[in-house]
Amino acid sequence: MAVMSAEPGRQSLDNTHDDPRERAPLVIGHDLASLTDKICAIVERPGFTTWWKICFGISAGVTGILGAMVLYLITTGVGVWGVNAPAGWGFAIINFVFWVGIGHAGTLISAILFLFRQKWRTGINRFAEAMTIFAVICAGLFPGIHIGRVWLAYWLFPIPNQMEMWPNFRSPLLWDVFAVSTYFTVSLVFWYMGMIPDLATVRDRATTKLRQWIYGALALGWRGSTRAWVHYERAYLLLAALATPLVLSVHSVVSFDFAVSIVPGWHTTIFPPYFVAGAIFSGFAMVVTLAVPVRAIFNLEDVITIRHLENMNKILLATGSMVGYAYSVEFFIAWYSGNFYESFAFTNRAFGPYWWAYFAMFTCNAFVPHVFWMKSWRTSPVRMWIISIFVNIGMWFERFVIVITSLSRDYLASSWGHYTPTWVDWMTFVGSFGLFMTLFLLFLRFIPAVAIAEVKSVMPEGDPHHYEHAHGHEGGA
Amino acid sequence: MSSLKPSGKTYWRSLDELADNDEFRRFVDNEFPAPADEMMAPTSRRHFLKFMGASMGLAGMTACRWPVEEILPFASRPEGYVPGVPLQFATAMDVGGSALGVTVTSYDGRPVKVEGNPSHPASLGGTDTTAQASVLDLYDPDRNSRVLKRDGETYSADSWDGFFGAAAPKGDGQGFAVLSRAQSSPSLRRLRSRMQQRFPDARWYEYEALSRDNERDGTKMAFGRPMRPHLKLDQAKVIVSFEDDLLKDHPTAVRNARDFAAHRRGDHMNQLHVFESAFSLTGIAADKRVPMASADVAGAAAALGSKLAARGIAVPAGLSGGNAAAIDDELVEALVSNRGHSLITAGPRQPAAVHALAHALNVALGNVGNSVVYSDDPEPSRPHHLEAIKSLAAEMDAGRVETLLVLDSNPVYDAPADIDFGGKLAKVANKIHWGFYHDETGQACDWCLPAAHYLESWGDARAWDGTYSVVQPLIEPLFNGKSAVEVLAGLMGNTAAKGYDLVRETYRGMDTDHDFEASWRRALHDGLRAGTGFAAQEPTVTDGWGSSVQGGAGGSGDFELTFLPDPSLYDGRYANNGWLMELPEPLTKVTWDNVLMMSPKDAAAMGVRDGSLVAVDQGGTSLDLPVTVTPGQADGTVAVWLGYGRAAAGRIGTGRGVDVYPLRGSANPGFVKVGLSKTGRNYKLATTQNHWAIDDGVSLPVLGKIEGGRQQTQRRAEVHAREVNLPDFVKYGAASVAAVDLQHHPVELWKEATYEGHKWGMAIDLSACTGCNTCIIACQAENNIPIVGKDEIYNGREMHWLRVDRYFKVEQPDDDTMNLDMASIEADKVDVAMQPLTCHHCENAPCEQVCPVAATVHDDEGLNVMVYNRCVGTRYCLNNCPYKVRRFNWFNNQKDKFAGGRKRTTTEMMVMNPEVTVRSRGVMEKCTYCVQRITTAKITAKNEKRELHDGEVVPACAQACPTQAITFGDLNDSHSHVAELQADARAYAMLDEIKVKPRTRYLARLRNRKGEGLGEGVVLHDDHHGDGHGGGHGDGHGDGHGGGDHSSDAHGAGH
Repeated sequence: MAVMSAEPGRQSLDNTHDDPRERAPLVIGHDLASLTDKICAIVERPGFTTWWKICFGISAGVTGILGAMVLYLITTGVGVWGVNAPAGWGFAIINFVFWVGIGHAGTLISAILFLFRQKWRTGINRFAEAMTIFAVICAGLFPGIHIGRVWLAYWLFPIPNQMEMWPNFRSPLLWDVFAVSTYFTVSLVFWYMGMIPDLATVRDRATTKLRQWIYGALALGWRGSTRAWVHYERAYLLLAALATPLVLSVHSVVSFDFAVSIVPGWHTTIFPPYFVAGAIFSGFAMVVTLAVPVRAIFNLEDVITIRHLENMNKILLATGSMVGYAYSVEFFIAWYSGNFYESFAFTNRAFGPYWWAYFAMFTCNAFVPHVFWMKSWRTSPVRMWIISIFVNIGMWFERFVIVITSLSRDYLASSWGHYTPTWVDWMTFVGSFGLFMTLFLLFLRFIPAVAIAEVKSVMPEGDPHHYEHAHGHEGGA
Repeated sequence: MSSLKPSGKTYWRSLDELADNDEFRRFVDNEFPAPADEMMAPTSRRHFLKFMGASMGLAGMTACRWPVEEILPFASRPEGYVPGVPLQFATAMDVGGSALGVTVTSYDGRPVKVEGNPSHPASLGGTDTTAQASVLDLYDPDRNSRVLKRDGETYSADSWDGFFGAAAPKGDGQGFAVLSRAQSSPSLRRLRSRMQQRFPDARWYEYEALSRDNERDGTKMAFGRPMRPHLKLDQAKVIVSFEDDLLKDHPTAVRNARDFAAHRRGDHMNQLHVFESAFSLTGIAADKRVPMASADVAGAAAALGSKLAARGIAVPAGLSGGNAAAIDDELVEALVSNRGHSLITAGPRQPAAVHALAHALNVALGNVGNSVVYSDDPEPSRPHHLEAIKSLAAEMDAGRVETLLVLDSNPVYDAPADIDFGGKLAKVANKIHWGFYHDETGQACDWCLPAAHYLESWGDARAWDGTYSVVQPLIEPLFNGKSAVEVLAGLMGNTAAKGYDLVRETYRGMDTDHDFEASWRRALHDGLRAGTGFAAQEPTVTDGWGSSVQGGAGGSGDFELTFLPDPSLYDGRYANNGWLMELPEPLTKVTWDNVLMMSPKDAAAMGVRDGSLVAVDQGGTSLDLPVTVTPGQADGTVAVWLGYGRAAAGRIGTGRGVDVYPLRGSANPGFVKVGLSKTGRNYKLATTQNHWAIDDGVSLPVLGKIEGGRQQTQRRAEVHAREVNLPDFVKYGAASVAAVDLQHHPVELWKEATYEGHKWGMAIDLSACTGCNTCIIACQAENNIPIVGKDEIYNGREMHWLRVDRYFKVEQPDDDTMNLDMASIEADKVDVAMQPLTCHHCENAPCEQVCPVAATVHDDEGLNVMVYNRCVGTRYCLNNCPYKVRRFNWFNNQKDKFAGGRKRTTTEMMVMNPEVTVRSRGVMEKCTYCVQRITTAKITAKNEKRELHDGEVVPACAQACPTQAITFGDLNDSHSHVAELQADARAYAMLDEIKVKPRTRYLARLRNRKGEGLGEGVVLHDDHHGDGHGGGHGDGHGDGHGGGDHSSDAHGAGH
């Protein structure tokens, strides 16, 4: 790994130079055919590799724990968790916001960076989107199971019923239902649509009837005609335009769960942008966490290049700074408002019984990412992987701090309490990672992890003027 | 047989019968018809097998029967009874020898709710926790349900007749002894004297672990004969209590609280001085509380006597100086200038001489006849309870007791430790226990008899003042129990005696009316017989005991340990009552355990904190008790509640807390010196409110002191549970209770809802609230609120819809540093604020807006209603409730977790109020303002084609409150009591600044002590200090200066 020395006959894998005269390549040492071969080989390899089997076994086992915990929860009651009065919400909501946040990177990369013509997105968008889908699945699980009467969860949807009851449209939880389900649907459609040309490629290369049949069905009859490509690209653009506001709205709406309430520490107008920045932050951190090992295992260093990673780290640096700014501003506003309850909510966060969570959050999110000012850290896969883990932890603690410290001490000092998670809380949380990893491993094994067709479009071969200039004005980061 | 034939149709069993022939006659005469003959005859193997086979087959058939359930209509319905409509019956509950008159609501034959009897002098409509919780005892599945007879190591079921046959006294009753709790029942007394006539050698002993016999001995000392004082707190302007918990631990506590609170609302306010070691409810209510060791109280009393003597008041000769520093000259002045309207009392733990001094001072100050009345003791020859139990133990030890009948007493548990009652009981040949539970004493006895509850048996009782009440049952005995009078009658041979007849006989004896039936029915209806109170007697003070007013505690050690009655479990007898066990103790809010209360200074010195286990050593007996740091506890003293650590209480009470009776000897039953040592171990305590010892903030280099939870609690307590000193209130009116407002722009953003019909609201007078918890139990009984157990309380999942918040208020240093170092808290600078909290039914209810399924909504009378069957349990409403009054069913609380999680038995479920939905798992619930009572009242009014009257709707909490601190009614009716109170100068809305518009308002507490010129009101935040806010901002609260006229007549007894 790391920056590899150039082998004879191959280009250097280090494309992180900042020489303005030369556009850095986004794919190193591939032509169109070798790229297809390389990506498809992962899907086409017969049997399962040992590492995959071990990882999948662990993930599936952990998913089994999740299932057991959910079963225990549903048969016994929400009391198996540590939630109480005053902390009516606990790990379930923390995990929900955490996973939804992670689910932000994929669609941001595919939609917003697409609209901004950021060509480097092509190398990472496929699995970032997959990560989004799986993270939202994990996220969607929690609000479903955290309610007292799980069997009536469908009452949150505006389904016509004999009671002629609508849900309460004033409740942010209801907005959540719409925001998250819309986001999930659009992300799924976007992801699947982007996959169709690649599925057709796999179909065309299939050597067994079964593969041919399955990938054939999934490819929806894609033939790659120019006419189809024209329609496809127009639809893709439209979907990107549709998905873009959702990236911003879904976490804004999630933040309304808190901001619309009257709980000191929740009731702040800064929450929507602060949550969106945090979500992008955590999402990119998770992409880095996954991309670094994936590119190493599948030798994708020439497709997901150091430059890709460096770009993501720059985004981490930017969003991390936004988050740090938000932390500081809400503290300042709490003091500046002169609001008695609000200012205590914040001093209590930092110096109260949960000070350790606050410092974990602040350190991991607002301080640690600043090592990315140094290029050596931005471009070292090992280092960035460690930093991304810090950010993941920090962002989970951010949600812990917001949910728990505010709830445990609100208005009446008589009703202050303490929240302590139970073993069921922990196992459910760990189990959600099992579910996430299980889905991700299945994705890696059966679906091209890199968007082949899109990557080709940013290769020199994809540039119609490549024979005029060695490096045209398109392409590059 | 033919001669017996009636006219009309003839039925016959067979033609033979019809023919009435000889063969049929032989068949009938033969007791066992032929097949039975055959069976008994040594007949064939074939026959034998045939019968056996048939028997086996038929035996199996019995399993095929459906359970028979009979639903029978009344053949003739009782007059005035409408099925489903509750009926009220008046009865009385006797605790410790004095009765509280109650009315009991019965639904279709099931008593479900106890209320105070407004015409009973001990109640006046109020109740206490014990009375409210007594319905739960009735249906307790752990109650004794059969007559049990010891059979070696185990018991076998027997019958009442079997018991009466075996246990009746023989001859003159030699060796027969009865040990009873204090009982006021005239019928029991009548049967007892009849028994003593019939069995002159039988002995009767009366014992109460918590007894007021020191007071009785004090009257004997002061007046030469035992007398009973009757307090008239409504006549007292200055009250001095020497460790007497008048408002809680007193036979007439309910009445005392009512009389006391009547003069706490601003006009002619009384003043209460309390000298005590541990905070009692009376100490919490005090205007001036002087914390001191219980052993030093006598010195303070002596000093008061001496200082009064110096002012010309006649005091007993021989009184030594005492602790002059403890007595303010202002107090002396107040007593002297309010002669005839002051009152001095002493508590049951204080020695007789202190009582004698208090009585003598009352006489000297001319209070007798006004604020205190004396009557002759109803049983002048009865020995002190401690003497009684000691002499019984001596008799048993000497082998002179052959048969001991224990009447609902538990001496094995609660007798003084040095007596070793359990050990001596073993020497009694025939031990009989009549009680509700198979408790410690029951398990040591040979016969265990189920006692009948007062709600299921006939009896009678007298109140402390002598008022006679008939105890009438509302239901047949559920567990085959008999009442005490029935047991006594049975032992005297009348085994079929009915309580009804026995009580009527007693009543006949005291009745002089012409029409006995009418008089009896009137007594049943009213719940009392008027004019039966004890006659007042004029006491004359004797002399020669003044020098015995001496303090001092027995035992040895650095600390003084005071034994307090548990506020819920009393002496331990209610330990199996789940409602009482889970009821937070008023001061510490501890549930399910007893703790060692210790002052912050002592705790800091010892290095212990809440939950630290401390070894308490007294005379070689050592017990480990968990500490609760309690500001206001006198330094150098610790206190503990009796009644825990029961070895055999039942599924709720067994093994909860620590039994401290082993530390309590007959020489020092009130307080004793003990040694304390750290064990280094900790114990998990379940409290419903955060411990005092929460975080203390941090000091940072640049920012300086960052306030922690403790400082914030202090700041908020001032604003949320407001109180003001009387002179400030008189001078500044509403402004003195107004907080500087956070609501800078009181602008309506949208058109607010209006309420055309009723607009329900509540007012809670913090001046009247004593923090007695009765409202909590009343709410629990009314609204079918489950208990959750210690672990769930620890997890913060208590279900009480109504809670009483308690704040310790510590006098702050002038520099507003809020530096609340534990070791520097002076016990005499601590006040306690009590604040009952129900759902506030906010008009802008934050809970309603956030519920995604609209399960909590507003109705057109402004009630914030909870629709249980729509709730899916997101708990968002709980998060968004600023008062945190919402309660969630984390589990299925309808299962009995104390009986292995089984479903409740039918008997247990009979306690449920059918008017209130029983909630299941996953559903939010909260106070409804007793919507079922509102609806019932509205239906009644509608049926009678009239408007609702003010005061017709009374929620359970308001009805139970002994001091009438809670008022409920229609705010649209400007003349309603609640509307007037909400417009009072003392009224404020808690958390008004977040504009939730609560329908409940509090009336700030008044303390009758020197003012501090707080014209600027209670300051919320130091940033706003002195910037000209204050008085003017009182207007922002909507109560304006309407109280101006109120304050003008609010002079009273203020300084």
